[in-house]
Amino acid sequence: MTARDRILAAIRASLPTPRPAQDAIAAEAAALLDAPATTRPPLAAPTLAGAFAAKATALGTTIDAVPDMAAVPDAVRRYLAAQGLTASIALQPAAALSDLDWTGIETHAGIAPDEAAALGVADWGIAESGSLVVHSGPQTPVLLSFLPLHHLVVLHETALLPHLEDYASRITGAPQPRNAILITGPSGTTDIEGSYVRGAHGPGFLHVILVTSTG
Amino acid sequence: MSHPKPQPSFKARAGAALADPTLKLAIDRTTGTAERKRAAAVAAFPEFDAARARGKAIKDHVIAHLDHYLETFERNAIASGAKVHWAADDAEARAIVTRICLDAKARLVTRAKSMLGEEIGLPHALADAGIERVETDLAEHIIQLAGEAPSHIIWPAMHRTREQVAELFKAGHHPPPTADDPATMVQSARRELRAKFLGADIGISGANFLVADTGATCTVTNEGNAELTTTPPRIHIVTAGIEKLVPSTAHAFALLRLLVRSATGGELTQYTTFHCGPKRPGDADGPEEMHIVLVDNGRSRMLGDEFREMLRCIRCGACMNHCVVYRQIGGHAYGGTYPGPMGAVLTPVLDGLAGSRDLPHACTMNGRCAEVCPVGIPIPTLLRAWRVRSWREGLEPGVMRAGIGIWAMLARRPALYRLATRLALPVLRLFGRRGWIGSLPLAGGWTAHRDLPHPPGRSFMDQYRDQQAKKGAGQ
Repeated sequence: MTARDRILAAIRASLPTPRPAQDAIAAEAAALLDAPATTRPPLAAPTLAGAFAAKATALGTTIDAVPDMAAVPDAVRRYLAAQGLTASIALQPAAALSDLDWTGIETHAGIAPDEAAALGVADWGIAESGSLVVHSGPQTPVLLSFLPLHHLVVLHETALLPHLEDYASRITGAPQPRNAILITGPSGTTDIEGSYVRGAHGPGFLHVILVTSTG
Repeated sequence: MSHPKPQPSFKARAGAALADPTLKLAIDRTTGTAERKRAAAVAAFPEFDAARARGKAIKDHVIAHLDHYLETFERNAIASGAKVHWAADDAEARAIVTRICLDAKARLVTRAKSMLGEEIGLPHALADAGIERVETDLAEHIIQLAGEAPSHIIWPAMHRTREQVAELFKAGHHPPPTADDPATMVQSARRELRAKFLGADIGISGANFLVADTGATCTVTNEGNAELTTTPPRIHIVTAGIEKLVPSTAHAFALLRLLVRSATGGELTQYTTFHCGPKRPGDADGPEEMHIVLVDNGRSRMLGDEFREMLRCIRCGACMNHCVVYRQIGGHAYGGTYPGPMGAVLTPVLDGLAGSRDLPHACTMNGRCAEVCPVGIPIPTLLRAWRVRSWREGLEPGVMRAGIGIWAMLARRPALYRLATRLALPVLRLFGRRGWIGSLPLAGGWTAHRDLPHPPGRSFMDQYRDQQAKKGAGQ
């Protein structure tokens, strides 16, 4: 008998027989997600953008709202200057970013181990928790969200979802990426005497460029 | 056994912990903050009780259909390209992980904190196989430098003060940190570990959840070390207990809301990541192989006995943050992988009751742990079940058995009980000095630390009878 068979046999020996049908189990599991509003916190503000901003800024994330994608390079320039950084940034290799006019800012695709700043695009934002969702892929390296000290993220207001369950229902049945990452504030730790320090291994700064256009 | 038998006895370890001049200070600094932040997070979430009832129901559902969910998870994980391994016990789990590392000719392994990894003795196994292991969680990094085991499941280095951490970093970091405030020390660790992340051959993580309908594993961290551990190396290994299953991502979210609030008082950790199979063709980064080791190690046995409810545990650590005993002695005194109330239930499962029967007794039964448990585990009831089993299996010491035997014999015979108390009182009074009893044969465990009040001359029942008689006479 393999370990697998032994474990499953030991489990079944302690559970009632016959084992329930799969659709009965599925119905029970679905019922456990009924009426989600009764078991989750309400949004922090009436609008999705307002609720997202309230949660995100409470965690130390900064937000700059711009009217459209064409305004993103200027927002990046503003941020880098305000932080006293040189006008240079690692770009996620996505056409939506590389097609913009980056005159005056040096951009590059690779991410150095000590990259100062990197810019990516979030797939979704979650208003309940102020989280950004990033799915890994050919144009989305995971390390772009973790190696830089300053992580800048473009988030479309139209990509804001109210609750965590709304994100879960978006991905149900779709092909899963290697990594689905929810980013909720800059990296931090409380491992030394419980005192909070920002910038543990991941980015110490998280800056959201919120694109408000609906087009 | 995954853990070398701790020496000396629990009582000696607890005594040493109580005598440690800095331990209590270090524990109070972190648990005090954790307790306050959890209370604030729960107060800000009016639906918390309903969410807790649902979280409990989700875990109970999974446990009742554990066979189904294990098979579903396995099927979907394999479909995503992961390799799934099964380990009946800690030795099998160690062998599987070590074999993967040796076959890959791995020299450097990075590891993101996993209590299951500690439970199966992975750190020692990797060392025995000659593989360099780098712990990437800041607290695990601290205790790796100190050569210690974790003393808490969320803050493994809770027992160390900042001054002690500074000493470890000065000796272990090149260059050493320039100051000993937490911010400077965290930056020093960031520099020290960055090259290790990128140079590792294999990254090992645990899993907070195994998502059955996608085959994904989920990690939560605040530091970002899990993703830096699981992305650059060629191979990602996950070790996870079989009770970590959830039906779907939405069910995982319902539990995450409870887990993070109960652990740190946050709403979500900074990084919540689902890892589903190896990198896809064309992906910009990610491991080429993903292995998932499903570990039983006593869990299927718990399913069939009175400790089944413990399988709901989501490892938040709230029970230890709120435990009056843990907050006095810290985690190391417990001697097992898991400390505090949940550890006192689990250690006898993992290491055997004979060597750990003191743990279920190291509890005041004040019920705080059950009160704060996000999945409603009746921990005091389970600890009592271990006490009963210890009695039945004859593990309680002779003096205790004789004492309780005599007491039980008297308690069932009221006349004899009254006679015994009447006879005992004058004897007890012989030991009294100035209103207090400072030492008493067979009661050294009490009188070594505090005095007993001098007993009255007559028993409660005698006084009560006289009082009733007087009342009767007055009417």
